[in-house]
Amino acid sequence: MCNKKTLYLVGVFLFFNAMYLIGSEVSKTPPAQEVAVSAELQEKFPLKNHHAKLSLKCADCHEGQGDEPENFQMIGDEGCLSCHKSKQYLADRLKFMDVLHVNPHNSIHDGQRLYCDECHFEHQKSENMCLNCHSNDVKIWMKDTP
Amino acid sequence: MKQETVSRRDALKLGALGLAGAMMAATNAMAAAPKETEVKFDEEYDVIVIGSGFAGLAAASKAAERGLKVLILEKMGRVGGNSVINGGAFAVPNNRDQQQFGIKDSADLFIKDALKAGLGINHVEMLEVIGKRAQETFDFAVKCGAKFQTGKKPTWFGGHSVARTIVTENMSGSAIIQPMAAFVEKLPGCKLMTRTKFDDFVMSADGESVVGVAARENYRFNKKLLSDDMENTGGTKKFFKARKGVILASGGFSMDKVYRKLQDPRIAEDQDATNHDGATAGAMLKAFQIGALPVHIDWIQQGPWASPDERGFGVAPLLTQQGLFVLGVAVDVRNGKRFMNEMADRKTRADAEYVILREDPKANPVAIGTEKTFAPQIAHAVEKGLQTGVMKKFDTLDALAANYKIPAAALKETIKVYNETAMAGKEDEFKKQTLKNLKEAPIDMKGPFYAIRLQPKPHHTMGGVKINTKAQVISGNTGKPIPGLFAAGEVTGGTHGASRLGSCAIADCLVFGMVAGENV
Repeated sequence: MCNKKTLYLVGVFLFFNAMYLIGSEVSKTPPAQEVAVSAELQEKFPLKNHHAKLSLKCADCHEGQGDEPENFQMIGDEGCLSCHKSKQYLADRLKFMDVLHVNPHNSIHDGQRLYCDECHFEHQKSENMCLNCHSNDVKIWMKDTP
Repeated sequence: MKQETVSRRDALKLGALGLAGAMMAATNAMAAAPKETEVKFDEEYDVIVIGSGFAGLAAASKAAERGLKVLILEKMGRVGGNSVINGGAFAVPNNRDQQQFGIKDSADLFIKDALKAGLGINHVEMLEVIGKRAQETFDFAVKCGAKFQTGKKPTWFGGHSVARTIVTENMSGSAIIQPMAAFVEKLPGCKLMTRTKFDDFVMSADGESVVGVAARENYRFNKKLLSDDMENTGGTKKFFKARKGVILASGGFSMDKVYRKLQDPRIAEDQDATNHDGATAGAMLKAFQIGALPVHIDWIQQGPWASPDERGFGVAPLLTQQGLFVLGVAVDVRNGKRFMNEMADRKTRADAEYVILREDPKANPVAIGTEKTFAPQIAHAVEKGLQTGVMKKFDTLDALAANYKIPAAALKETIKVYNETAMAGKEDEFKKQTLKNLKEAPIDMKGPFYAIRLQPKPHHTMGGVKINTKAQVISGNTGKPIPGLFAAGEVTGGTHGASRLGSCAIADCLVFGMVAGENV
């Protein structure tokens, strides 16, 4: 008797649990996760190699921005830093460049104040802002901007 | 003449641009500045400053120090515009370091120097304010956190009759900009918004006074456009109320491809300048629209010491000014002849280079000299110039001539005559002042020979809106100050006349920025 009752209770518990899981699947998944990345879309909004390797999906960066890539907004510094920690961390990573005063993340002109997307672009070629004035020195200082 | 002043193609291009602008943008050709009765303000401040360079930050710092709520609008993502890429040299007439090192200076001597370079068309009452208040302004900048190399003999800049220039600790304007921006942002109720573009002044109901501004947040400057001011429709509209006044400190227009060419058709659209991409005329034109008086707009100072083989200011100006120009020669590559006094003022030299470049835009003149022409303190720059390819080194004049396609025999003859004239103690045909009392040939025929190609680059726009000694903008309609509108820095005109002396930009911007911040 006791066993039957226990079994019954466990059964009911599992049933509701499963219902809850299915329900949550339906209501909690943002539709953007489902953006099918067509070849056309991929060509229009290519990812940087290092991000593609991680199999990042649209909504990993464009969180809560719907499912229409054309309407996605820029994610700003906050978006980048949600993975890349902080500007201080990024400046420290290139600290060895401080010796020659050429650390782009802690430059003599701007300190740590620059927007990430002053130089780094995800869906197009990045552009090193230092080149605006130091066209001939940058190649001595650093590699292409990732 | 090859080019018309405004070619038909340009006129068409401008026309098309205007049409596209009228269709796309919120602004159109006939739009007047909005009145406060027509807008709903989103935020309210005491003072709104347009621009975050030396003038804007000095104005904001002074106003904020007085306890006012200040909003600074900066259209670029970077703070500081040209000021943050500037070399950090500040002419402080009659400063404490001069006194310590026994250098006699005075406000009058400073004004005399500025008038000479400015060809006498300077507005002297403005120079008087700079002469009188530079040291006090310097102290204010230091109070805001700016860092200078003091306790040293001041630096001697060209055109100044005494050494009176103090340089920042890191030899960049950033040693003033970064701490001053932080100074304002720390004070309660003050804010600096980047990527926020000033669009229009908002006028009082009677149209007489400036009471706020219209701007766009989340604005991205687009350097690929011919005119970002006219074509870029990005960003979200916002209205900001200024209870006490608006201070225009938007800088010069050396990178405004359309407007600078209208003033000086020698400056091609694709021509590089020493300025940052955002140095455009848009904000100044809005001040003209509400009646501000224009002064000296077509006096655009161009650096004759720059090179087409690098972007922006680069390293060439150092290598020519303190090197090749001093004892070397600049020659026309087409005939191997000299064409100017290599040590004349900026304007004379830029004009001489343009005579050649208008005949053949590809025939950039070449400056030539030998090792001994370089001042010892720029030894590091010599290496850098060679390493980056801006300067080239040749063992023989024949190799140099071949590289730049200069007729070799003519070049050798030019240098022979140049050396002989100098050795004989005679004045050369261009009256070069640095050849006196030389005991050996200015160009050492043993070589090696160093060379840099030359290209004038727009550097400082002398003209702008007219302000009085209280930094109030003067109206062309009333001849009196426009209530609620102040201006300071490169957006103002008249102070430096035809040509500004080196290291006087920081002096002008910080002094009048501070004055605007006091009077707003």
